[in-house]
Amino acid sequence: MKIFKSLVVAATTSLLIAGQSLAGPYDEYADTTLVVNFPAHPHYNAVMKILPEFTAETGIEVEVDQLPYLKMRERQTLELGQDEGDYDLVAYVVFSKADYVYADQLENLARYFMNPKLADPGYDADDLIDGYVYNIGFAGGNKGYLQGKTGSLFGIPYGSETSILGYRKDIFEKHGLKVPETYDEMLDIACKIPTLEPGMGGLSSRAASGHHASHAFLLHLAPLGGRIFDDEWNPIVNNAQGVQAANALKTIVDCGPKGAASFGFGEALGSFLNGDTAMFLDTTVVAGQIDDPAKSKVVGKVGWAMHPMGTRRGSQTGGFGIGIPKNAEHKEAAFLLMQWLTSKKGDKLVALAGGNPSRFSTHDDADVNAKFPHMKTFGEALQHADPDWRPIIPVWGKINADLGTSLSKVLTEGLDVQTALDGVAERTKAVMEEAGYYTWR
Amino acid sequence: MNNASLNRATPYLFLAPALVIMAIALLYPLGYMVYGSFRDWDPSQTLQEASFVGLANYKTLWNDPNFHESLMVTLKFACSVVTVEMFIGVGLALLLDRKLRGMSLLRTLFILPMMIAPVVVGLIWRYMYHPSIGLFNRTSEGLGLGSVDWLGQHALLSVIIADIWQWTPFIFILSLAALQSLPRSAIEAAKIDGASGWQQIWHIKLPLMMPVLIVTGLLRLIDAFKVLEVILVMTEGGPGLSTEILALRISRTATEFRELGVAAAMSNYLLMLLLLLTVIMLTYNKISDLRAQRARRIAEEAI
Repeated sequence: MKIFKSLVVAATTSLLIAGQSLAGPYDEYADTTLVVNFPAHPHYNAVMKILPEFTAETGIEVEVDQLPYLKMRERQTLELGQDEGDYDLVAYVVFSKADYVYADQLENLARYFMNPKLADPGYDADDLIDGYVYNIGFAGGNKGYLQGKTGSLFGIPYGSETSILGYRKDIFEKHGLKVPETYDEMLDIACKIPTLEPGMGGLSSRAASGHHASHAFLLHLAPLGGRIFDDEWNPIVNNAQGVQAANALKTIVDCGPKGAASFGFGEALGSFLNGDTAMFLDTTVVAGQIDDPAKSKVVGKVGWAMHPMGTRRGSQTGGFGIGIPKNAEHKEAAFLLMQWLTSKKGDKLVALAGGNPSRFSTHDDADVNAKFPHMKTFGEALQHADPDWRPIIPVWGKINADLGTSLSKVLTEGLDVQTALDGVAERTKAVMEEAGYYTWR
Repeated sequence: MNNASLNRATPYLFLAPALVIMAIALLYPLGYMVYGSFRDWDPSQTLQEASFVGLANYKTLWNDPNFHESLMVTLKFACSVVTVEMFIGVGLALLLDRKLRGMSLLRTLFILPMMIAPVVVGLIWRYMYHPSIGLFNRTSEGLGLGSVDWLGQHALLSVIIADIWQWTPFIFILSLAALQSLPRSAIEAAKIDGASGWQQIWHIKLPLMMPVLIVTGLLRLIDAFKVLEVILVMTEGGPGLSTEILALRISRTATEFRELGVAAAMSNYLLMLLLLLTVIMLTYNKISDLRAQRARRIAEEAI
């Protein structure tokens, strides 16, 4: 009897120990309810569709506070500054990275990826799109906001986007036009279209005063070989490449649809969706709308090509990433959600639901391409995604607004390009000086 | 405290809690803004953490050409809309101050625009001004008149028109109320004396309405100086800075530029400007009030 009792105790103990060592990574966090803050954005609308699968798989509940983008930013400014925040995971727009990291409001993800109980060995971080990770996730490396030996990961790209050229296949075929591969070809075709197709604009671009004009200019600056600053933070926006980029924008607007100089993103896209323009060079996020018959008059007529090349390839990087606030209540469970969403499985699920994938493998995936044939081209463009096409520094908002209003004056008031950019460079220098970027000189 | 003193103090004691709450509710945010304007204040800091910079934010603005441009745009916008709205609003009130069939329905329809949310007003007008699908350009092109670059070359005029459409009813309602409260005896006496319609308006109605019109104009002026949503939605301040009114610049300075101290200083400049305008208009109002009283007295004596 004694032997039997000992055997039962030994067997029970072994089972308990084995049970503990075989416990799933999510068991400890089952029944946790995470509160996350996401923007009202097509990608995050797709995320809402896949979250029930995460809960079913892990037992972790997710409560989503989905807000319009500007409202989300405002709420996060308040929430992240508290001792105890309401959010366990937040989506942030790329600009916020500098602010949040500088204010020590986001968790460094190293300690989570180092934790064997949390980090999934099959995660395959190398498959994440480099340009997105360096642009949206890294801080503290080169220039303070990029990858580099001193840098760390504070977020993972999620709902990120790059630039792509959409063109009207029917119009190009009708006139025997070759899909532009270089800037010269693109500008040439953009100005031929209004003659070939009276009433139609060449390329529809945002150009309205402020961040729209600035964004459009930066889109051309990187491929044409320019930058806003040199490696010592001297503004070089007014050099030959800067002037070339501004002139490219002016040509596009002059040969664009009616009223193009006052177009924001909505009008620029609307013009393409309405069939008023032959080309559209902007974010990949529009693909869903272009293929939606309820919103688009050009369904099935649009082909996609890589962002044309100037002196180099350089498509934009932007959009959203996800990070764990320093003041979050359930940080480890939040990491598990973050890891699940950005895993190969999660990325494919969100792509199939209409979101923007963050991995190269998802762009190559047969199922994803069967549903969204443009995905392969997007993946090729992402090989050249430039994480440094736009500086991510705390004073960028002020420089960006100045650049955008000065360019708007070029487009609408006939201000000379060189004069406008010289003015921007001079004022930018003062802003940088005041912000302490020249302290070490 | 004796009974007499207590009796005298009683009303004040009852009023005290309400006055204290009002003072806190009104003065605390104002004080916070003034205090913040002396600091180099980033949104990630509490006001106490922000370093004290004295009058530096005010000096920066004093020398900032973009601030001057925004101020000029604001003055042009506010003066234009208030002048035109006063003319149309008062004119309509004078025209419709009569008993006609369907008048109450017409009055209700007139006030509809001011009930619409400013963001919606901005969107409605933005799409009416749209270069290719907008109502105005489609109509003008249909008539062979070509298209107009409303939100480009004529952006300030476009936002002025939208504001006039939305807020003229406000002037109309108050003017109509003022007209209907005028002493009918004075108008009747003028009619008996053979005064024409214009003479009645110029010499009786407008002088008697003037105190109300000045307060109405002042309220609109204050509001026009602070307008934000309609312009934000329609032009975002562009092209260039041609429609970037002060409220929009304040908002950008606080959120995009992350300079809360400078934004607070800008708000204080705006507040000082509005206070100055208010004092001028209220002084004028007092003078007009005295004139109106004299006009009433003369009219009554004439009867």
